[in-house]
Formats: sequence, structure tokens, C-alpha cells
Amino acid sequence: MSALVAGMAMRTCLGDGEETFLALLRGRAGVGGLRYLDGPGLNVLRGYHIDAEGPDEPAFRASGWLTTCVREALEDAGVDPDRQRVLAIVGTGLRELRELERWSEEGGAFATDRLHFGAAVREAAPGIAGVITLSNACSAGGHALALGQDLIELGEADAVVAAGADSMTASMLAMIGLVSEQPAEQLRPFDAVRGGAVLGEGAVAMVLVGEDAHVRPKARVLGTGLSCDAKHETAADSGGIERAMRDALERAGRAPEDVDLVIAHGTGTAINDPLECELLNSIFGRDAACPLVTALKGALGHTSGTAALMSADVAIRCLREGSVPPIVGLREPIPEAARVPLVLDHWGFASLNVVQVNAFGFGGVNAVTLLEATP
Amino acid sequence: MTASAVELPRQELPVGHACLTGWAIHVPDGGEGHVPAADYARELLGRKGLLYKEPATLMALCAVHRALGLPPRTPRSLAEPDPRTAVVVSSNLGNAETVTKVARTARVASVRDISLLDAPNASSNVIASTIAIWFRFGGPNLMVCSGATSGLDAVWLASLLLRTGRADRVVVVGVEPDDEISVALRRRRGGRHAPARAGAASLILEPAVVGAGTMPALGPIAFVSDREQLTFADHETLLVGCAELAGPRQSTVDVEEELGDLYGALGVVQVATATALIADTDSAAADTATVVCGDDLDGWRSATICQPRPSGVDP
Repeated sequence: MSALVAGMAMRTCLGDGEETFLALLRGRAGVGGLRYLDGPGLNVLRGYHIDAEGPDEPAFRASGWLTTCVREALEDAGVDPDRQRVLAIVGTGLRELRELERWSEEGGAFATDRLHFGAAVREAAPGIAGVITLSNACSAGGHALALGQDLIELGEADAVVAAGADSMTASMLAMIGLVSEQPAEQLRPFDAVRGGAVLGEGAVAMVLVGEDAHVRPKARVLGTGLSCDAKHETAADSGGIERAMRDALERAGRAPEDVDLVIAHGTGTAINDPLECELLNSIFGRDAACPLVTALKGALGHTSGTAALMSADVAIRCLREGSVPPIVGLREPIPEAARVPLVLDHWGFASLNVVQVNAFGFGGVNAVTLLEATP
Repeated sequence: MTASAVELPRQELPVGHACLTGWAIHVPDGGEGHVPAADYARELLGRKGLLYKEPATLMALCAVHRALGLPPRTPRSLAEPDPRTAVVVSSNLGNAETVTKVARTARVASVRDISLLDAPNASSNVIASTIAIWFRFGGPNLMVCSGATSGLDAVWLASLLLRTGRADRVVVVGVEPDDEISVALRRRRGGRHAPARAGAASLILEPAVVGAGTMPALGPIAFVSDREQLTFADHETLLVGCAELAGPRQSTVDVEEELGDLYGALGVVQVATATALIADTDSAAADTATVVCGDDLDGWRSATICQPRPSGVDP
């Protein structure tokens, strides 16, 4: 069983989906000075922002990007929610909690109903049958893809918009500032001198349809494995992640050797990176047996619940273009990555058929997705 | 996906999409006087490991403890996580107070004044992941924050996890706290609402084939955007409604009128209420209940729960 990606749209610090992919291939990072929030007090100075410069923080930024992406993705797919039964699942780490923070500090207008993303999706698709906001931390987008495919396979919807949206919150920046010895300049996945997490932001929407739909698919979603570590709130655990990876392969009906490329979770932290390398070697084998591994957070920042869908968007472009972007920000790999083929320079003319997307979230929630090229 | 899961034919599910094998409603200050959520939690769960957990998380743990039928202060399992039990939680405002507190501290003081133990509470999925860790549930773990429909969205996603073979058992929780921020935010919602109330409920869902013919069964859940589109079964059916539902049909039981505004907890509390009513074979209550929650902004959901009776017996 599988589903097809009929349309997609994205906004990152590097632009829309196409612009992001080109910038990634060129090794660009969208990092800059932290805007809107008091940097020195937070112990955070940098961020991967989307907006054009200006001193004032626009309201409901994540909702705005989401509305744009949902509208574009539905158009791209040729799916009309007024004529077909369409459901949306929006994965997010931070909802519109930034607006909640601003309301509690500054007062003013804040509608409680805008904390979640129902209104933002309905603005682009008034006829949509239902909108679910799933607040599943840094793997929320992967969970949205998993449930979207499930709904298509069970025939509960003609199309599902699997989407993600996140903007930075002061509270999450504060938590990063609290655990950082000094503010990081840039996020560096799998780097020996890692600086830690630097937040990014943006939105993605992906329209999933059944195998029998009359569309020109971008790619096929083979399956997503889900698991929860159930061990510790903040520290990742290898058992849960390994279960998600094996579940993905089993659902997709694929063997480890079928995977050509992995877009890693790669957070540039001591908790994630060594563990992720260890698991890649344990699932796939070492050196040449292990598929190419790249990671996006050095270029796009840690985009919270949106990250998995950003990786899926880039994965689909890799499948279609035969090119793989390098791990932006990586200078010297950690020792644990010695036998993992990390992509250090732009990799062209690769023959790719299956790409794996890893996403592991706060609270030990894991989603691993396999995507396949379509003719 | 395991072979058995793929081959589980939907037509074999006799009455609905899942059966309800456990349920509990946990509304801490429902009795005389106000008892803080933490006091209840210490009584029920034991004293260890509760420090720095938010009231919403504590109420959720209590509700699950009771839905599982565990005796008070049962020692926590240290076994390997059960990969076949999933958790789906609905709460809109569970961590809203922590988020605003952390943001304020960072602004007026320094991040060094924030407690590291608040870190997990900054993430909205802390309730769902804490339940997984506490009870060792290693299956899919979902945190739903969809507004007025959130509770029934969680029940619907739980049935989805069973039907796709992602889990053999799903623990569903709806919970909402009554801290200052939560109360202020709930007052800002449009529509008709009772005063905000802290409360939680938990349901245990298993595939319909497990308890076929004995346990209350959950039918499909309908999505409609307009309250005029809601359809109701005959008047023999119990209607478990909410304060916002006025017009189409008079509610038999209005959970919010009885308890107060429950927002993200509502749908789960309603299903637990409906299940308790129809499962009580001594009462004259109906065999079928319809649960309706939502509002005109977030849309509406309705679910049907029925209690199979032995065939050939006319009650």
C-alpha cells in the first residue's frame, strides 16, 4: 500500500521549494541575526528567518506561510476541496505559541481559536472537510505524512493535505539559550565542533492521493514508521528510533539495501548525532553498504515540527533531479560518522530510487518515511 | 505493517471501528472544596516522579491509571516499552501557562533564571510523551491540539491507528487545566460556554474483534463543517452534547452543563460519559449514544457508541 504526492509547496529561509533546493545544492545557509527577540538576554543570537528585514514582528507568521503553502499545493495537485473530500493534518512543534506569548506580554487581540491551524488552512481551502492540528514536536510533519497515507489507504478521504508550520517562540529560544554554553553561530549537523541547535521556521504542504488518482505524481510515499521511545523526555533512545526505521521498511515492503539516500534528522547536538550515526550503521551496514546521508538543518535551521516535511520536499526534488545537496555547515565529521557516507559536497547524477527521511522529536516521538521515485 | 494487520478485514468488525475496554473520568475538584490536582495524583500514583509535572500532565496520568483499572499507588512498570500500545492525547492549553511563564522570565530576567526542569513542559506534546514513559507505551504517540473538535479528533485518530494495524491498543486522553492563562484563553473563545473547568478523561480502545458482542463499540466518526449538517438518530438514542450545540436537537446529557467548559478534553469526557451510561446494564438508558462536539469555527464531529445486547433477548 502507498500514496502519491500530487502537489507540494514550501517556504523556508531560502525561499520557496525550488529556490530552497537550488540554494541547498550551492551549499548556502539561511542563517542571520536573531530578529524580534532580545538576543543577549536569551543567550541566542542567530536564527534562520524567513521575513524580509524590518523591526516589527508580523502577527501569525506561521499561519500566513501555511495558508500560502496549502493554496499552492492544492493548485499544484489540481485538487478542489469543494468537489472532493479533503482532510488536512498539520504537524507543528510550536503551533502559534508565539502569538500566545505576545498576548500575555503585550495584551491586545488574540483569538484562542488561532492557537491551532484550522483557520489558516480553511482560509486557503474553505471547503475542506476537516483540519487536525498535531503537535508532535520535531517529528510532527512525519506523523502528518504517516496518518495522511493511512487515511488515503483506508479510503477515508480522496486527498489529504499533510502540512507543517512553525515559527520561533521566545520560550523555545530560551530553552536553547539555557542549555547552550555560548550562543551558536550556525547549526552544524554531524560536526565535531558542534555549536548546538539554532532555530529555523517555515511551512510545507503536500497533497496525498490514492494510487488510482488521475494525477502526474511527484513521488510515491511508500510508508512511515512511527514509535515512541517511552524512556526519557528529552534524551533520544536507540530502541525507539530503531523500531521506527524497521517499521518504515516493513510497511514499505523494502529491504535496507533498497534505500539510496537518507535525509538525516541531524540536529548538530551531542544527543542526536552520534546516536543517529550508530543506528544508520546498525540498520544499513557500514561504509559502502550504508546509503548516502545528507542533512538540511545546517542550511534551514531546526524548523521544529515542519522539519520532516521540509526533508520530504527536498527528498522528492533529489529523486526528480538526481542531485543531492551537501550537509551545509559540516566541516569535520564526528568520529561516530567515520563509516557513514556523509555528503560533504554537492552530489550530482546520482541514481536514486528510494529516499528515507528521519525525524525524531522531543519526548521520544519518532517518524521515519520512505519515498520512491515515480516515472 | 504486519501481515495480520494488513489482512484484518474491515467487514469483520461487527459494530464499529473499535471497542471500548476501559474508561475513566478524572475531574479533581468535582467534590466538596477545591483539591489541587497534585494531591490527587500523589494519592493515586504515589509520590515519586511527580515533581515539575504540570497539572494537565498529572490529571492525564490519573485518568489513564484509572481507565487501566490499576489499584492506587501501583508501582510503575520498569519493563521494556510495549510497542503495540499507542497513546493519543487531546489538550489545547495544557502547557500554555508554562510557555508564557518561560517567555516572561526570559524577557524580564535571564534564561539562567529558568528551571531546566521546565524544559519538557515547553513542548506541547509533554502530556502524551509523559504517559508513554510512565506506563511504558512504545507505540505511536500523538498530541492533538485542534481546538473545539480536538477530543473527538483524538478518538478518531485512535481508531485509525487500530484499523491500520499500527497498534493493538490505544490509550486516549482528553485533558485541560484551569490555570489563570487557560481560564483567560477559554473566556476569549466565541460562543456559549460554561465556566472553565479542569478535567481529564481516558479511554482504552482495542480492535472491535477483541470484545465483539460484549464491550461497548465505537462507530465511525463524522466530520461536518456546519451544525445544520449534523444528523441524529431516533430519539431512543442518548445525545451527549455540549453547551455550544443548540438547535438541531435537545441534548440528553450536556457534559459541560454538568461539569463546566472542558475545551480540548470535552470529546473524550463525552465518550467516557456515553460509554458509562450505556454500559450500565442495570439502568434504563439506551443501547446507543451519539456524541457531538465542536463549534462553528473549528467544525463539528459526531460519534456513535453502542452497547451490544445478547440477541433474542428483549429488554
